[in-house]
Amino acid sequence: MARKLSYGMAINEALHQVMEKDERVFVIGEDVAKMGGDFGITQGLWAKWPKRVKDTALSEAAIVGLSCGAAICGLKPVAEMMFADFAGVAFDQIVNNAAKLGYMFQGKTSCGLTLRMPQGAGIRCAYHHSSNVEAWFLNTPGLVIVCPSTPYEAKGLLTSAIKSNNPVIFLEHKKLYNVKGEVPEDYYELPLYEAVVEREGTDVTVVATQTMLQMANEAARTLEQEGISVEIVNPRTIFPYDKETLLNSVAKTSRLVLLQEGPKVGGWAAEFSAMVTEDAFEYLSAPIKRVTSKDTPVPFAPVLEDSVMPQKDDLLASCRDLVHYG
Amino acid sequence: MKLPKKRLLKLYRDMFMIRQFEDVIEQYAANGTIPGFVHLSTGQEACQAGVVDCLKKTDYKFPDHRGHGAIALCGTDPKLVMAEIFGKNTGINHGRGGSMHINDLEYRNMGFNGIQGSTMVTGLGTAFASVYNNTDDVTAIFFGDGTLGEGTCHESMNMAATWNLPIVYCLLNNFYAISTHTDDVHPQKELKTWGEGYEVPSFRVDGNDIEAVVSATETAVERARKGEGPTLLEFVTYRWQGHFAGDPAAYRPDEEVEEWRKKCPLMRLKNILLEREGVPEKELEKIENEEKDHVMEMLKFSLESPEPDLEMATKYVYADRKVEVNNG
Repeated sequence: MARKLSYGMAINEALHQVMEKDERVFVIGEDVAKMGGDFGITQGLWAKWPKRVKDTALSEAAIVGLSCGAAICGLKPVAEMMFADFAGVAFDQIVNNAAKLGYMFQGKTSCGLTLRMPQGAGIRCAYHHSSNVEAWFLNTPGLVIVCPSTPYEAKGLLTSAIKSNNPVIFLEHKKLYNVKGEVPEDYYELPLYEAVVEREGTDVTVVATQTMLQMANEAARTLEQEGISVEIVNPRTIFPYDKETLLNSVAKTSRLVLLQEGPKVGGWAAEFSAMVTEDAFEYLSAPIKRVTSKDTPVPFAPVLEDSVMPQKDDLLASCRDLVHYG
Repeated sequence: MKLPKKRLLKLYRDMFMIRQFEDVIEQYAANGTIPGFVHLSTGQEACQAGVVDCLKKTDYKFPDHRGHGAIALCGTDPKLVMAEIFGKNTGINHGRGGSMHINDLEYRNMGFNGIQGSTMVTGLGTAFASVYNNTDDVTAIFFGDGTLGEGTCHESMNMAATWNLPIVYCLLNNFYAISTHTDDVHPQKELKTWGEGYEVPSFRVDGNDIEAVVSATETAVERARKGEGPTLLEFVTYRWQGHFAGDPAAYRPDEEVEEWRKKCPLMRLKNILLEREGVPEKELEKIENEEKDHVMEMLKFSLESPEPDLEMATKYVYADRKVEVNNG
């Protein structure tokens, strides 16, 4: 049986292997060196490469700014925001600097930095430590937004992100850190910009990522009992996204539900919905549905937090509605 | 510090060229030929020419938004710089960036970022790369008194000082952030004291005295090259024009502007050359005429150059993939 590793340790293994392979790679962030990261993701790196793993002051703008400057000099920075929410402090550096440096230097150099950040709700930490931030960056051409959903993806997408010469926002879901899965021991890469069909089906396509993928799988099993065949697409890269896989799936099932953690307004589900409507309207036999978090900040108390998250019952109802539409 | 005559003559040429360059830009911004807005550095020539003269090709240079002069002296053919300001295809960046984003990797002009304070932290990265790669390349960051209000200045200085990064912070204090006087928004009587809180050697320098600028910069560059860390240089100077070309700058008293015009860095250097160094007036006139012609050539080149190819708008957004062009 293949080796199992947690999502967090798969990321850690990717970092160890990439640093071993490529001496241009360095790690920078708050508590990433001696402590090994607030979530332990960078553990063991500093002991091996003390000069290449840097603890900083609480200076998110400087962490990202330094990484931008080093990247255009040809280094490969892997910077960590302790929580994705803190990217707000470095927002200018991400959207105005990282995203635009390659364009500014007209491809003579590029800003190949990887910005790792744990996002997402479900750990009872309230609204400044629980945001889903894909949509913060979605409207910024130049950035790549990657969302690994499994330990296998976490390792393979991170190695690709670091290898890429584009600025990659690598969004780790902190609720997945302890989830285990099969992960090859050797170094490998998974392609950016490519979605995968997680489950084949014929009646309705559900697009989901990270923790929502589990909900989609559970819903698909329930619906199977009712004779509804669900196809699940995992985008992996949120932007620039894989249109083809998405459109092929919609062409096959003719129905689309977008299951997204994070507020409904202006999220990736909105973008995917608009794209499918523009490009594949004639394939649709029912309106597109979005099942998302509520349009609120993430509250603290467990009952409150749970209440704003996407609900499995809503997902089930949406799939049923579409199949019985018209 | 007295500089040798030969170097002073070279600097006079540089500064004279910048003055002419900015006069042309002002004229063609006013008549609408140059799109957008431009920030002129007339009056600040000594800071720009002096600092750049102390740097080598592989040093990283981050000009500020008022940086045409420094940019045109970094090594790039200045006509390509001017054509960029005119938004032409022959511009060094093919019209993609314009006045505020001119860059040239070959000479390590790392470009300005249109957001004040951004290069303060980008410069950390180039300096970090020098240390990481064991090179002696120094990073020079130009910024203004207004920029000092940005939080990135603190983050940058704190990190550079802690890690002894090879940075020369070139603070061009011209007393005004657009209309707002430094005294209204900063508590320090001398802005250089800001650096002292980080235990960074910090000096206030007469920014209109080319010899003072060069002397201070050489010391700072040498310190950085030896791995001894950053230095803050506050160059006290003045911009003769408003914030952008066309800004009447009604917020400044006329007497103040007149007073600073009397401290013209170019005239001061000219007087040194004529009186102290005994250079004949004719020799300076020759330099002046040559640079006037030089700038007229740049202008002709810029005016005659074609508009950018439209593909320049969509190229290079990503390193490894094309942007899909939406045709509706």
